[in-house]
Amino acid sequence: MTADDRPAARAAALRVERLTVAYRGRPALSDVDLHVAAGERLALVGPNGAGKSTLLRAIVGLVEPTVGTVELAGTRIDRLDRLAIARRIAVVPQLPQLPFATTVEEVVALGRLPHEHPIRGLRPADRAAIAGAIDRVGVGHLLGRDARELSLGERQLVLLALAVAQAAPILVLDEPTVHLDLRHQVEVMELLADLNARDGTTIIAVLHDVGLAAHFFPRIVVLDHGRLIADGPPEDALGEERIREVFGVDPALVRVPLPAPA
Amino acid sequence: MAARSLTRVLALLAVLFIVLGCSGGPGSPLWTPGSGTPAPFVTPPPTPTPEPTAPPAFPVTITDDEGTAVTILAAPQKIVSLTPATTETLFALGVGSRVVGKVEDIAKYPPEADSIPVVATFSGVDVEKIVSIGADLVVSGGTGLSQGPAVEQLRRANIPVVVSYPTTIDKAIAGFRLLGQAVGATDAGNKLADDTKAQLDALAASVANATSKPRLYYEIDATNGIFTPPAASIYGEMFTLAGAAPISGDPNYSISLEDLVAADPEVILLGDAAYGVTAADVAKRSGWGGMTAVKEGNIFPIDDILVTRPGPRLVDGLRALIEAIHPELVVVASPGPRQTGESAAP
Amino acid sequence: MTALASARAGFGGRSRLARRPIALAALGLVGLVVVVVAGVAAGSVAVPPGDTLAILAHRIFGLDLGATWTQAEETIVVDLRLPRVLTAMTVGAGLAVAGATFQGVLRNPLADPYVLGTASGAALGAAVAVIVPVRTVVLEFGLLHGLAFAGALGAVFLVYRLSRVGGHGQMTSLLLTGYAVGSLLAAGLAMAMYLSGTGLRQIFSYLLGGFEAASWIRFATALPLVLGASALILARARSLNGFLLGEEAAAHLGVDVRRERAILLGLASLATAAAVAVSGLIGFVGLVAPHVVRLAVGPNARLVLPLAALLGAILMVAADLTARLVGEIPVGVVTAVIGAPFFLALLRRTRAGYEL
Repeated sequence: MTADDRPAARAAALRVERLTVAYRGRPALSDVDLHVAAGERLALVGPNGAGKSTLLRAIVGLVEPTVGTVELAGTRIDRLDRLAIARRIAVVPQLPQLPFATTVEEVVALGRLPHEHPIRGLRPADRAAIAGAIDRVGVGHLLGRDARELSLGERQLVLLALAVAQAAPILVLDEPTVHLDLRHQVEVMELLADLNARDGTTIIAVLHDVGLAAHFFPRIVVLDHGRLIADGPPEDALGEERIREVFGVDPALVRVPLPAPA
Repeated sequence: MAARSLTRVLALLAVLFIVLGCSGGPGSPLWTPGSGTPAPFVTPPPTPTPEPTAPPAFPVTITDDEGTAVTILAAPQKIVSLTPATTETLFALGVGSRVVGKVEDIAKYPPEADSIPVVATFSGVDVEKIVSIGADLVVSGGTGLSQGPAVEQLRRANIPVVVSYPTTIDKAIAGFRLLGQAVGATDAGNKLADDTKAQLDALAASVANATSKPRLYYEIDATNGIFTPPAASIYGEMFTLAGAAPISGDPNYSISLEDLVAADPEVILLGDAAYGVTAADVAKRSGWGGMTAVKEGNIFPIDDILVTRPGPRLVDGLRALIEAIHPELVVVASPGPRQTGESAAP
Repeated sequence: MTALASARAGFGGRSRLARRPIALAALGLVGLVVVVVAGVAAGSVAVPPGDTLAILAHRIFGLDLGATWTQAEETIVVDLRLPRVLTAMTVGAGLAVAGATFQGVLRNPLADPYVLGTASGAALGAAVAVIVPVRTVVLEFGLLHGLAFAGALGAVFLVYRLSRVGGHGQMTSLLLTGYAVGSLLAAGLAMAMYLSGTGLRQIFSYLLGGFEAASWIRFATALPLVLGASALILARARSLNGFLLGEEAAAHLGVDVRRERAILLGLASLATAAAVAVSGLIGFVGLVAPHVVRLAVGPNARLVLPLAALLGAILMVAADLTARLVGEIPVGVVTAVIGAPFFLALLRRTRAGYEL
């Protein structure tokens, strides 16, 4: 993180109050309250159409609340321009179609867009951040490759490196494990935990894999039909009853005593 | 909001465009055609302003067919002709020896012009060549012959350019006088104009005795749609002078087969005979068999160039038309062969 | 080798030359000078190269190189060839920058400067100008230039307004609307051509494009428009880079998508409109030049824009020279003959393209 981001990190990282987002009269989110302190790590779960993506979009200011407010580090989001938002919160992008041949480094370098000089471009600090992110995420073996030729999983990791290079105090991920095999899923989860522990990055991840969420995240937020159903540690937020009523399946919950994740 | 930014940016840059457009550039004098009042176009080196009146003939200022006032300082010795009609006229005026460049001419007339180097074709004018041979007068067809940019460039190179693009017979005849003035052969120009007018009038008078006014279809091309001249053209005037009732095309020179059949031509003249179209071909066309002209075999080839080129051979063209349309008349002047335009000079 | 060391060493995967954009730019400038001098030295009248240089040196720098030449030669070089070559340079650069910008904003490698209906709008404007029996000339710009310019900008504006679905996901909508509006305008053009009668040839020669009508004043007016628009686009290279991963990702990276898209498209359209107003519709340069440059230096707009401008200028001057020497064939034909096979080769080279 750059020096100017540190003071922001100390305040409550994210504050969502009475958030309601309606599209053409139909509410995608109703009356959601969410307070996230700096340095927290939380997973957002819920069935399809629960409003998870809408909540993410509202958090980064891509969607205007019909009712309610969103605050990033104490500042209301409608008072921030896109650049200011990009410096406070990084979103791992969806897998894009790249129109031109683009190397892995060039993709990761895009993460420095909010920081680079408008005219001169990347400065030494930016290059260091890019190299650091590539190392951290572990995609160094892909250097020099055309990003369009990578496998889905590899591309996902490169995009994660991009978000890491962006070095924002809050990192948001929307289904980051969708195309990853099991080993990579675990690696990404452990990377997130590492970012959280060592850099104090606040992590908010939308996950479809409830088991993965429960294992790696100390705080789970459950959404259903646009409403916040539960918010707390996994054993409280994800009981059998809750899973049955929210996800519509009959779960067999197995609590496995594992060493706590880092 | 975004559209407003776009509009603002565009407006700003449009203003920039206008402001810059109005600022000066490496000075070319403003060229305003159609202004009517003759103003010296070419800024002459320190000599008095030219007076466009009686002899001495130069310097002279004339108004060309696009309304531009062109000043010619001295009798041109190196004339370039960019329309075939002009080439013919210049030779008819007796200044053929002063012509140093011409446009390619499919009719290759007059034969004396053969040796003159070609500096322009239908697709373009070689401005550099004209500049390098030191032309001191260029006669061009102007925008009508897609020579607009060339005219501009030549004028910017300080070469006087007279645009000759007559759209009526009277304008063509007036053009002879104009050209005569421009090249210092005013008397020859006037004589050519007067003679041509007199002969055309005589020919037109001769058909006044005709008992009929045959409906005429003049074919320019019929390979892909029918092309025939509109009434408002030199063609149209010629047909009327020749004592015909022309079936006219629209301003785009086209007519539908239905309209043509309904009009029922009594005489068909093949202006595309030079491209190998014969009377037999016409008779074979489906839907054409009902026309009077086809039934009676009144389909004749004719030299298209003679009929339409606004030069000194208009008289021959009219004669050829009359012979084809009114074979029953005895033609006033010396008879020429029906098919081709070969004839002695008028 | 750690990523850090690799990043310091420069990007792998591209040739050594490509890692040094400065060298490429210098090479480009040299190429441009060569091709400009060639363009001014060659033509249907042979002016000895020594004399050409002497004339240029005399007129531009006031130097006396001791050569002598005729007035005709000076007129040919300075009044006929030089403005033509400079105009070709400007138009080539402008179209290349516009092409690169459209490709970047619309994220479509097949985009060229005419993709949002600019070409059809300009052509229709020009055709209307030919048909309308009004003749005005303002400092060497006739109704044709004015309406072509207005038509180009008007078409883009129309496409932009019609494609407004609000917010994101608009790129596809823009492209499709551009195609639809372009087709509509082309139909209007066909109608105008049909009604044009004797003016048809004029319209046709506009459509084919060319630099025969180049003059100092037209050059002096087009240059600031093209240069200004290009400079302003270059200043926004950061936003252009942001669009690489899509509109959403761009927003996440701090780009004000709606505003930047409007500004970038507007500026690129302005450069295109200025180019087509002066020289008609010349294709392929705006499409091909950015791609060639990207092959060498990658998609970073900060490098692509200036280098594409350079390459576009070189290509256009060379194409005009070829057209002149072969015998006044239209420049658009030369660019098509060279550009089309090249573009096919390019398509065959790129593999992955659109797979997710």
